[in-house]
Amino acid sequence: MAAELLDAPFDVYRFDPAHEATPRYQRYALHLPAHTPVLTALLAIRAELDPTLTLRYSCRSAICGSCAMVINSKSRLACQTPIGPELARHGRIVIDPMRNMPVIRDLVTEMRSFWTNYHRIEPHLKPNRARPPPEGKPNPMTPAEVARFQETPRCISCAACYSACPAVEADPMFPGPMALAKLYRFVVDPRDGATNERLARIQPEGLWLCLRCHLCTEACPKGVRPSERIMDLKELAIASQGATDPGSRHALAFKENIREAGVLNELKLVRQTSGLPGMAAQLGQGLRLAAKKREILKRPKPIEGHAEVEKLYEILDREEER
Amino acid sequence: MRRHEVVIVGAGLAGQRAALAAVEAGRDVAVVTKLHPMRSHSGAAQGGINAAVGAEDSVDTHIYDTVKGSDYLGDQDAIEFFCREAGPTVVEMEHFGTIFSRADDGSLARRPFGGAGFPRTIYAADRTGLALLQALYERLGTESFTTYEEWDLLRIVVREGRVQGIVAIDRTTGALEEIAARSVVIATGPAGRVYGRTTNAHSCTGDGIAIAYRAGAELKDMEFVQFHPTALLESSILITEGARGEGGILKNAQGERFMARYAPHVLDLASRDVVSRAIITEIQEGRGFPGGYVHLELMHLGRERIESRLEEICDFSRKFAGIDPVTQPIPVMPAQHYMMGGIGTTIRGETNVRGLYAAGEAACVSIHGANRLGGNSLLETLVFGKQAGTAAAEYAARAAPPLLHESDLAPVRTRLDALSAKSQGEDPQAIRTAMQATMDGRVGIFRSFAELAKALEELRALKTRYENVRVVDTASAFNLNLTDALEVGHMLDLAEVITVGAIARTESRGAHSRTDYPKRDDAQWMRHTIASQSREGPKLSYSAVAYTRWDPKERVY
Repeated sequence: MAAELLDAPFDVYRFDPAHEATPRYQRYALHLPAHTPVLTALLAIRAELDPTLTLRYSCRSAICGSCAMVINSKSRLACQTPIGPELARHGRIVIDPMRNMPVIRDLVTEMRSFWTNYHRIEPHLKPNRARPPPEGKPNPMTPAEVARFQETPRCISCAACYSACPAVEADPMFPGPMALAKLYRFVVDPRDGATNERLARIQPEGLWLCLRCHLCTEACPKGVRPSERIMDLKELAIASQGATDPGSRHALAFKENIREAGVLNELKLVRQTSGLPGMAAQLGQGLRLAAKKREILKRPKPIEGHAEVEKLYEILDREEER
Repeated sequence: MRRHEVVIVGAGLAGQRAALAAVEAGRDVAVVTKLHPMRSHSGAAQGGINAAVGAEDSVDTHIYDTVKGSDYLGDQDAIEFFCREAGPTVVEMEHFGTIFSRADDGSLARRPFGGAGFPRTIYAADRTGLALLQALYERLGTESFTTYEEWDLLRIVVREGRVQGIVAIDRTTGALEEIAARSVVIATGPAGRVYGRTTNAHSCTGDGIAIAYRAGAELKDMEFVQFHPTALLESSILITEGARGEGGILKNAQGERFMARYAPHVLDLASRDVVSRAIITEIQEGRGFPGGYVHLELMHLGRERIESRLEEICDFSRKFAGIDPVTQPIPVMPAQHYMMGGIGTTIRGETNVRGLYAAGEAACVSIHGANRLGGNSLLETLVFGKQAGTAAAEYAARAAPPLLHESDLAPVRTRLDALSAKSQGEDPQAIRTAMQATMDGRVGIFRSFAELAKALEELRALKTRYENVRVVDTASAFNLNLTDALEVGHMLDLAEVITVGAIARTESRGAHSRTDYPKRDDAQWMRHTIASQSREGPKLSYSAVAYTRWDPKERVY
C-alpha cells in the first residue's frame, strides 16, 4: 500500500559561526508520505540532497533525546513529529535549532547551560539515614510511593522544555523546567534523606522564577509536565520551610490580598513580599507608577460580589485540607 | 597530548559502570564518548533485567536457561559467574536510585520473559534501560573523572605489545586529540547498523569493535546476530518482549496463534531465534499479511494494563505507526536487534591485547553464545562493565607509563585529509545503503552458502569503492559527512567478519540458521569462532567452549 506523497518544502536554518557572519535558511523540496517523521525527512536531505547539513540524532524512537529542535516555532523532537499535520497547518516546515543556547553549527547547539543547571540541583540520591537501605536487599517501596514520582522518570533530558522556556531566556538564575522536574523526582523519593535541604536551597535559587506559562509542559515530548511539578515543588517548599523567600511570600500574600477585597492591594502586596527594606529599594519605580495610576496608593474597596470571592476561598481551603 | 591512567570509550551502561569501578579503585579516569552519556543506546532497552530473586526461582535455573538459550555455545563458567552476580547487581542499582516498578508488597516487580523458567525479569515499566542509565549517570556524577563528550575514537595505539593510548576527534571543533593511557576499555556498543532493518540506534556503528580489530584484537562469534521477533513494520522500532511477557500473542493473516506449531509448551515466549524463524516461515509459506508481516495482539489485556505496563509501547505505536494497541493489533516483523559476538574477552574483560579491555555489547565473554535471552543484556553491561573497569584499573596501577608520541597522530591526519582532498569520489551514505541491502537480503535470519558467498562478493566490492570514499563537507565543527565516512568504514570491516564467519559455520545453532545445514553439529561446531585481521581479510580460528555442569541437549521450547 503505497502512501500518497506530499510536496514538503523544508526551510532549514544553516549557520557555521566559524565561517559565516549570519545564519540563513536553505530551501529543500521533498516529496514524502504524510506520516514521515521530520527526522526521517532531514536524514533524507542529508542522504540525497546535502550531506553538509548537520544535526544531532540517534535512536529515532523518542528515547535518546538527541533530536530536539524548533519545528514551525515549537520545540519538539524531530523523530516523533510527522510532517503531515505541519504541512497542513503551515504549508511548509521551518526548522530552527533549539532556543536559549548558542549554535555550534546548523541545528547543533551548545547545551552546557542546560546540563550545568541540571547538575546544580545535585541530581543523585542522598541516602535517608532514617530509612537506611537494607544490607544486600532492595529498599522496599510501594506502588503508591512509585506513583508519587508522577511522570518524571520518563524524562529523556532532550531540553525541549529548556528551549521553550521564557524564564530561562529572561533570568540565568532560573534552572529551567527539566532541572526542577528532576529536583521534584528526588524530593519525593522515599529513599532520599535531603528533602528539606533540597527545598530550602531551591527557594532562593530560582524556584519562584517560573512564570507558570506551561510552555514546558506543552513542549515535553514525554508527558513529564514539568510546570505541574514546579507547582508541586512550590507547595512542598512552603509546607516544609514556610514562606522564606520573596517568591513564596508573594504567592501567599497574593492569595490573602485578593481575599480581602476581591481586587489587588498593590501597596500591601509589595510590603508583604519584599518587607520595608524591599519597598524602599523599589521606591523610585513605585513613585513613577503612582504618578500614572494614583489608585495604587489607596486601599481598594471590596468589589461587587465580594461574598462570592469569599465562598470560592472557602471551597479552596476545604480542598486543601482534604 | 592529554594523559589519563584508564580511558573508557563509550558511556552507556557498560562504559559508565567500568568508569565507576576504575574511579573507585583510585585511578585517574577519562570517559570518551561520541554521544552525551544520557543519549547512549543503553537507554533504549525496554523490557528489563534478569535476576533470580523470586522465592520459587534459583540462580541455577537462571544459569540453565542461559546455557540452553545460548544453544550450548555460551561459556558455562562465565554464565555461572554472571548469574550469581545478578542479584547483587540489581540491588546495587536500586540503591543507586533506580526507580523500578514494584509489586504490592513493596518488592521489585518481575515479569516473564522468553526462554526463562520463571518470571525473573525486573523492570521499570517498559523503559528499564533509561531508568538504569539515569541512576548510574547520577551515581557516577558524584565521582571525580574527566569526560570527553562527542569525541569519536579513531585509533587505539598499540606499541611493544601493549596499549599506549588513543587518537580521537572532537566533533565540536574538528580537532584531532591524543590521550595517553595505560589501559583502554572499549564499551562502544554494537554494530547493528550494518543492517538496514534494525532496532538499533543510528549511532550503533561498531566503531570500537572495528578499531580494536584493526589494533589486533580478536573478534569472537561475530556470525551470531540476533533478530528480535517484534519490531514495528516500517521503522523497525522495537516492541519489547515484555509485550508478550504481559500476555501479548502473535497471529498470522488467518487469525491463527501460529506459535503453537513451533513452541507448543511456551508458545509466544519461546526464545527469540525460535520466534523470529517462526514469523519468517509463516510469511514464506503464505500466511503473512500482504506485504509480509504478522500481528502482535495486546487488545485482550485491557486498556489499564497496556497503558500502565507498556506505556512507551503505546506511545510508539500511536506516534510511529498510527496504531492504538488498546484497540488494534500491531503489525510487526523481525529486525536485527543484538550482536552476540564482539571483541573476545575473559570473565575479567581482558582481550588478547595487553592493556585493552572490552565490555557490554561490544564484547563477547561469551555468556550469550549463539542466542541471547531477553533481560540478560542489561545485566551483562553492568556485571562485565564492572569487571572490565576493575581489571583495567588493576593493570593500570602496575603498568609502565604509556609511550604515546605526537607522531602517532600523523597516519590518522593523513587518512582524514585524504578523504576531503579528493575532487571526486564515493558518497559514504550510498555505500552504507548498499551494505545494508546486502546484509538484510543475504545475511539475515535464514542463511545459505549461495547467499552468503554473494554477500561476501558484494561487501568486498563495496570495500573497494570505500577506498575512494570522499568527504565533501569542508567545515570543522560537527562534520557529520566525515562521521558517516568513518562509521561506514568500521561497519564494512565488521559486515565482512560476520559474513566470513557465517560461511565457515556449516551448521545451524541459535541465531545462525543455515538452510543448507539445518542441524546443530556439536561434534564439529561446538566451538567459538575467532576472527583476526589480516591483509587477506578476516583470518578464522576456533576455540573451545567452557563447560561446567550442563551437557548439550536438543533445544525444545
